[in-house]
Amino acid sequence: MKKLLFLIPALAVTTAAQANYPINGFIESKCVIQSDTAGMFGNPTVDELSTKSADGGVMPIIRYDIITASKYKAVITTPTNFSASPSLSDSVDWTSTTVAGQMSDAAMSIFNTDKVIYNNGHTTEFDLVKAGSVWFNVTSEAKYGVGKAFPSGSYTALIVAECIAK
Amino acid sequence: MKFIVLVLCLLSGYANAHQFTPTYPKLEVSHILGVYKAEMVLFNAREEIRYYSLNVFDKDWNPIKFATESKLVTIDYQERKYVNIYISKTDVKKAKYICSKSKILESVKDPSIVASRICSKIE
Repeated sequence: MKKLLFLIPALAVTTAAQANYPINGFIESKCVIQSDTAGMFGNPTVDELSTKSADGGVMPIIRYDIITASKYKAVITTPTNFSASPSLSDSVDWTSTTVAGQMSDAAMSIFNTDKVIYNNGHTTEFDLVKAGSVWFNVTSEAKYGVGKAFPSGSYTALIVAECIAK
Repeated sequence: MKFIVLVLCLLSGYANAHQFTPTYPKLEVSHILGVYKAEMVLFNAREEIRYYSLNVFDKDWNPIKFATESKLVTIDYQERKYVNIYISKTDVKKAKYICSKSKILESVKDPSIVASRICSKIE
């Protein structure tokens, strides 16, 4: 009888020690925008600023994480003016490209196939029909008035990266 | 100086992110008569960003009147904030998108600048 009295609490303790503690999680559909690589303008000629590596620049890269396929579209708009710069007396001609580069799923190459470009080539829209991570490479070139050199100083421009629910 | 290095930093070099959920918020009746409410969550993992603006649009991206605690949300790095968006009953059928957009201070010269905007679609 005494042995039984000891055994019952011992079993109770064992049961408590083996209790399960669940970790609960919930994955919801969402789009995460990350700036992955800092962009820099190279100055290959006096009248040009460019993010192309061949021009001494660094191509900015924006990463999108897509949790659920076909819920969002990505819209990336490249600069058409400087948000800060020395005083400019002539017009600046902007050109740009945006392409899906590195991707976590090869099937994401469809982003490039089906992309839509508008706003004189400055806005590119990608239908995010595949889940995963994708890195968008952006090139941006600014050319100053014919035969004129950009004034010395620092230049800043803005890329707008958007995720719009469908 | 023949080659002046004009550096334009377009994006910051460290991992940073902007999240705005849910993807498809529902407008529900609020405690105020004739006003509906959507509950949103904003997460800021962009170290150089402390402010996000909020906006509501119709299907053609025309702005819709709405109320919230502050249309310019102050949020720390790696902070999560719950935001209530209040929309009048008269605008409920028109309201289609709720958006948050990062706001960059002029003083941020630092490696740069990407403005991120995430828009959720009202169900």
